[in-house]
Amino acid sequence: MTSRMAGRHWALAIFTAAALLFILAPVLIVVINSFNGVAYSVFPPKGFSLQWYANLAKQTSFYGAAVRSVVVAVLSTILAVIAGTMASIVLIRHKLVGANLIKSFFLSPIVLPKMVLGVALFMLFIRIGLFGGLTGLVISHALVSLPFVMAIVSANLQGLDITLEEAAMDLGAGPLRTFFKVVLPQIRVGLMVSALFAFIISFDQVETSLFLVRGDNTTLPIEMYLYLEKWQDPTIAALSTLLILFSVVLVVLLGMGLKKVDVVDVFGSGKKNREGSQ
Amino acid sequence: MAELATPIRPTAAARVRRWGASLGLLSPALALMLLSFVAPLILFFQYSFLTFKEGKLYDVYSLGAYVKFFTDPFYYKIIGNSVKLSGVVTCFTLLIGYPLAYALTRVRHPGLKKWLGVVIFSPMVVSVVVRTYGWMILLSDQGVINWLLLRLRIISEPLHLVFNMTGVVISLTHIFLPFVVFPIYSVLTKLDASLKEAASDLGAGWLTTFRRVTFPLSLPGVAAGGQIAFTLCLGSFVTPSLMGGGRLLVLPLNVYNNTVDINWPMAAVGGMTLLALAMATVTVFNSLIVKWTKGGVRV
Repeated sequence: MTSRMAGRHWALAIFTAAALLFILAPVLIVVINSFNGVAYSVFPPKGFSLQWYANLAKQTSFYGAAVRSVVVAVLSTILAVIAGTMASIVLIRHKLVGANLIKSFFLSPIVLPKMVLGVALFMLFIRIGLFGGLTGLVISHALVSLPFVMAIVSANLQGLDITLEEAAMDLGAGPLRTFFKVVLPQIRVGLMVSALFAFIISFDQVETSLFLVRGDNTTLPIEMYLYLEKWQDPTIAALSTLLILFSVVLVVLLGMGLKKVDVVDVFGSGKKNREGSQ
Repeated sequence: MAELATPIRPTAAARVRRWGASLGLLSPALALMLLSFVAPLILFFQYSFLTFKEGKLYDVYSLGAYVKFFTDPFYYKIIGNSVKLSGVVTCFTLLIGYPLAYALTRVRHPGLKKWLGVVIFSPMVVSVVVRTYGWMILLSDQGVINWLLLRLRIISEPLHLVFNMTGVVISLTHIFLPFVVFPIYSVLTKLDASLKEAASDLGAGWLTTFRRVTFPLSLPGVAAGGQIAFTLCLGSFVTPSLMGGGRLLVLPLNVYNNTVDINWPMAAVGGMTLLALAMATVTVFNSLIVKWTKGGVRV
């Protein structure tokens, strides 16, 4: 009995290890390939060189794209988090008639395939003159992030103890003061996680933005996609490695930030939070 | 107590103020939705009725694009490809994701559990373009997989794993795996432990307990994960485009090509079909979730 039980656990452990390898393999191979000595991908790598990093430094088209991506990601994150938090407060606290219906309306962009959104926005922006500009990119990325921000912030607000807010109001604090002094400190983690989500989502948009940018001022993922369509030399691996490094920093920060909060609880309903706050 | 028994009715002015506050707070999100979701979709719908002839777009309303789309076997093939790809990828993500979620619930050490969760989640912060590129290197004729299989003498000639359906399925399974693990994990952790104890007290072995208690109760999580994977897969573009090598034509690629060719009515009809498929998927999986949740656990 015990040996069979141990066998089962071993099988699960081996499966998990294999799955983790599957999850990390494509990321690891990109890093390895960026130090490749030859222009084509081959395993085991032939020699070691930093020439692809040197080549990357010469590709000035990536510089502008990177700056653009960061600017768009930051602006769209701010827009999505502010708009999403304001709307979540109404949906959770104001007891509106049909709050559920309004909420599903705000969550509905999740279902919309990104390519459809991208093409539809392209057609609209050409008509109203937003095509090719930053504004169009920022609002379209904010729209894609909005449902995620609202899902996370709503779940967070739902988990809060409402009597604290009522006490603050009874003691004479206005709605704004109550929000900044009482609510905001309690949903800080949720806001941070949703901002991180919004940033990552914006930074990874290809389909949505493919038709919204002009050839000479694209974003980084689009520039990489277009580069990969033409060439597949390890220059793209060098750039990817730098991006992966950036992501690793994000993930480690997230991992350390989640000391007490379980990664998964952030996505779950607010129930656990409520139990914790009492 | 009397005050509690008869709540003070808010005056008309207070009600208007309250409505004003609600509307004011909702307005940024509403404006965003109207400008970048509702308006473009309405325009998109309008474009689907325009006429495209000999490489030019005409401002004449017709059903031409719809007729062409739903009578041309070429488009049946594309829809078929999209649905088949999403189905296969969803099955694979569930087959890998379920045991992984189960393993995650069995890890006792809190630190290990947290970092295991972080590792499973981590590919999501790496761009889809980078991950697809990673799989292109891994699966190429001179890549790691072929090197390993040749070394182990399992095969004598390299397998063609890139620029075809196989490569697309493998990469998409990787990309959507985290979306499947977390809903399943979430349901598994909420299972009542006493049910399992009761089963084993009644003499059920591990397999019986899993088959008769744990698995049926975790089905809503499976449906929720499958719903996300299938919907996202229907809309995926970057991976089929780069990894498919032009051989795997799916709906988003077709919408892209038609848009580039200025055949906007056709692009719009393709896009509406894609949206309809995504909505049908959500509906089907929602009914599965409802069916499997009855008497079970909530997602």
